[in-house]
Amino acid sequence: MALLEIEDLRIAYSTKGGDAFAVDGISFAIQEGEYLGLVGESGCGKSTIAKAIIGILPPQGRIVSGSIRYRGRELAGLPISELRRIRWRDIALIPQSAMNGLDPVYTIEKQMDEAIAAHADMKAQARHARIAELFEMVGLNPARLNDYPHQFSGGMRQRAMIAMAMVLSPQLVLADEPTTGLDVIVQDQILERLAVIHEQTRNAMLLITHDMALVSENCGRIAVMYAGRIMEIGGPDVFAAPFHPYTMGLVNAFPDIASRGSELIAIPGTPPSLVDPPSGCRFRARCPFATTRCAEETPPLLEVAPSHFAACHYVDKAQAFRQETRAPATWRSAL
Amino acid sequence: MIERSGLATILDHPSGAAGLAVVLLFIAIAIFAPFIAPYGPFEVVYNADQSVVRLAPPDGRTWFGTTNQGMDVFSQMVWGARVALLVGLLSAIGSVVLGTIIGLVSGYFGGWIDEILMRATDIAFGIPFLPFAMVVIAIARPSLVLVILLVVFFLWRTTARVVRAQVLSLKARPFVWAARAAGAGPARIIVHQILPNVLPLAFLYMAIGVQTGVMLEAALSFLGFGDPNVQSWGIMLNAAFRAGAMRSAWWWVLPPGLALSFFVIAVFMITRAYEERLNPQLRMI
Amino acid sequence: MTGFARYFVRRLALMVFVVWAILTIIFVLFQLLPGDPTAIFIDANFSVEMIERQRELWGLNDPIGVQYLRYLKNMALFDFGDSFFQNEPVAAILFERTINTALMVVPALIISVVLGTIIGAVAGWRRGSRFEKVTVTTALLLHSAPSFFVGIIALMVFSYELGWLPAGGMVSLGGPEGFWETISSADYWQHLLLPCLVLVSREITGPILLLRGSMLDVKGSDFIDILRAKGLPERSIVAHAARNALLPLVTYIAVMTGLLFQGQVLLEIIFAWPGLGREMVTALGDLDYPVAQAALYLMALVILAMNFIADLTYGVIDPRVTYD
Repeated sequence: MALLEIEDLRIAYSTKGGDAFAVDGISFAIQEGEYLGLVGESGCGKSTIAKAIIGILPPQGRIVSGSIRYRGRELAGLPISELRRIRWRDIALIPQSAMNGLDPVYTIEKQMDEAIAAHADMKAQARHARIAELFEMVGLNPARLNDYPHQFSGGMRQRAMIAMAMVLSPQLVLADEPTTGLDVIVQDQILERLAVIHEQTRNAMLLITHDMALVSENCGRIAVMYAGRIMEIGGPDVFAAPFHPYTMGLVNAFPDIASRGSELIAIPGTPPSLVDPPSGCRFRARCPFATTRCAEETPPLLEVAPSHFAACHYVDKAQAFRQETRAPATWRSAL
Repeated sequence: MIERSGLATILDHPSGAAGLAVVLLFIAIAIFAPFIAPYGPFEVVYNADQSVVRLAPPDGRTWFGTTNQGMDVFSQMVWGARVALLVGLLSAIGSVVLGTIIGLVSGYFGGWIDEILMRATDIAFGIPFLPFAMVVIAIARPSLVLVILLVVFFLWRTTARVVRAQVLSLKARPFVWAARAAGAGPARIIVHQILPNVLPLAFLYMAIGVQTGVMLEAALSFLGFGDPNVQSWGIMLNAAFRAGAMRSAWWWVLPPGLALSFFVIAVFMITRAYEERLNPQLRMI
Repeated sequence: MTGFARYFVRRLALMVFVVWAILTIIFVLFQLLPGDPTAIFIDANFSVEMIERQRELWGLNDPIGVQYLRYLKNMALFDFGDSFFQNEPVAAILFERTINTALMVVPALIISVVLGTIIGAVAGWRRGSRFEKVTVTTALLLHSAPSFFVGIIALMVFSYELGWLPAGGMVSLGGPEGFWETISSADYWQHLLLPCLVLVSREITGPILLLRGSMLDVKGSDFIDILRAKGLPERSIVAHAARNALLPLVTYIAVMTGLLFQGQVLLEIIFAWPGLGREMVTALGDLDYPVAQAALYLMALVILAMNFIADLTYGVIDPRVTYD
């Protein structure tokens, strides 16, 4: 049994113009100890998935259908008292912005302590020892446990947030853009820490980011999301040999993971409206290879290689597409 | 443009529209007071036998009854609307003009001008209004003009601080340095770039000023520091209170008190509707 | 010097400056008061020499500069001289009146802050609920209604019409005397009930509207989501939110206390409460200048001291405030 299984999940936000399906029929699974990278442009619904898993969708958002199972147990619609027990002990969250993720008027230790106290029957001293241990693990000085969040730098806050997420050794960590906004050196340090923790605890992680390099360096499995749907999912081959034109475009946009010598290409255009999404393939308006079939038929996720799926009608032409997408002219023709 | 869209928001807002209707009603009463009020503000009502109609309960002739001096309560209430509107408008305009000018100058020029004006504001904020006003009136003899001046003196400080803060944030905006780079002088920048952006706030404080002004005049008059030559709601309440009407003549107490309450609450509802447009956070849903 | 010490000194200097400015304004005002104080209270039978002796005694013949400096010194030392009418030092009279005012204002303040905070916090937390709408609407109405008229109505209904509560005063005639005897008597609490409730009906609206607003701000912050994700019970989350939302309240309470000491003049008149404000109105009517002057000064002082405390406490309770 997978640790986390998401099946045909649909999440809507009510907006003035009607329901916006930020997540529109998504399925994937995370095995124990596995790192799954979820990539896509901002606004494609990545963060919504994390919020739905841990049950903190904003008031205007709701799960319309589908299921989220943790160790076979359905989380969607679980009574709050049951859900509370799973939160943080089993599934923890490293939020997008640690700056705002910490309560400004409580000390860091207090905030970590209350997480332990809510779930484990531990003496105050043992809790303190555990918190100090975690602090050292993420490379922070335990002498600063009693600091307030504003006394920490951005990188330190992010580390404190990671320490807080790990304090109960959760089996699944949802990391939502854990390094965004930090400078590169701090990013590296934080990733290193995450790797060390992973070695020790064998936790699984859903790493949500728009940083392709981060995913390719850390994740055994990769899912590419676009406009509320998964376009491609599989092992490291998703980036090495993509089958979906959108993934090809993303790979091209990140020169350090694309083959050397290529020109940096951003995909022209913007994602479609989620309130009134286009028929067929959602990427077709920006896709250089789109045909009328793409507008008429929604491409299903096809298995293109063992455990590698892509949602494109023309996966058999992938080889040729990969060549063509390296030329900037190809992308300009789409518009 | 500002007034038009401001008016539209107030009308969109159910309580804002209700407040506006009530205020318009009071304006109409004030304007047409001579036609509405059967008696003058100090006119004594006599019986057929030439005796004074003292403390008569409401009836067909004196709708809201009479005072202990035989004056018609309804008429006094109607005349009181004039005083309320006069005090409200004049003190609001006076305080907003004064406060806006001080805020603009202080915020725009900074330096020692700002220092002096802001210390003056600090002093004004330390003065307890009612007691201070009572002393001044005791010195100078009560009059409506003095009451209005005192209210202006009390109200300018808030407007000045708020406007100054707004000017400070506007000063840092690109369109202001663009104007300065293009060679516009301080007066031009203040009038053309800054003032239009400060006006919505100034209007808000004007509405607040009307409400506070009317309330303060009523409070001072109730305490016995009102102008004895006019008939205002506060003066009516003072007379009723001193005559012990709370015990014996409810009809003398309720009309001025309710008129005051309705007017003040109505202005407040307009203010609130307008404020919600400037600051949508206040909205309930 | 640390940042806080520097800030403290600067803020204190500002307060001293403002106190001096207000004292000067008060001095000028009372110089302008009509008539010579001796003319008002000295018996018509007094001889010219006696009046002259009295003027000399009060220092009214000194140059104005000397009078001003003496006045500043006396005010700073709370030496307000003797009342013209009551054969007592002004300081003793006003001390008693200030205590009486506090006996009305402090209970109202406590009730308003405690109840208002809870109601406002719940209203903000349950945004869009019926409770929020009813509370906010009521609070806005009470906030804008003239509270002295509310007081008059309350008195008419509960004291005169229904006869449930005493019609004014702080205690009955021949009732308890002295601070402890007063506050431990049922008589005082009966007299307090009505003015206190009227005061609460207005003062409670501040904390309600303030807490609701800051609760809304806090509720939208990311850290609330994280607290929820941590699996904390709802009450812990509300506690976090309230702790954040309370910060502006502390400042507000200090400012509100300052304003209450001068703003209750109206209620003291309506309820015949022998407090500072009522004493001042009486003194102005009697032309008892030393009393009026000192009362005005004391009220200003309370406001300034409370604003000072407000500014200082904010830095102490909010860990984010720095003074660099």
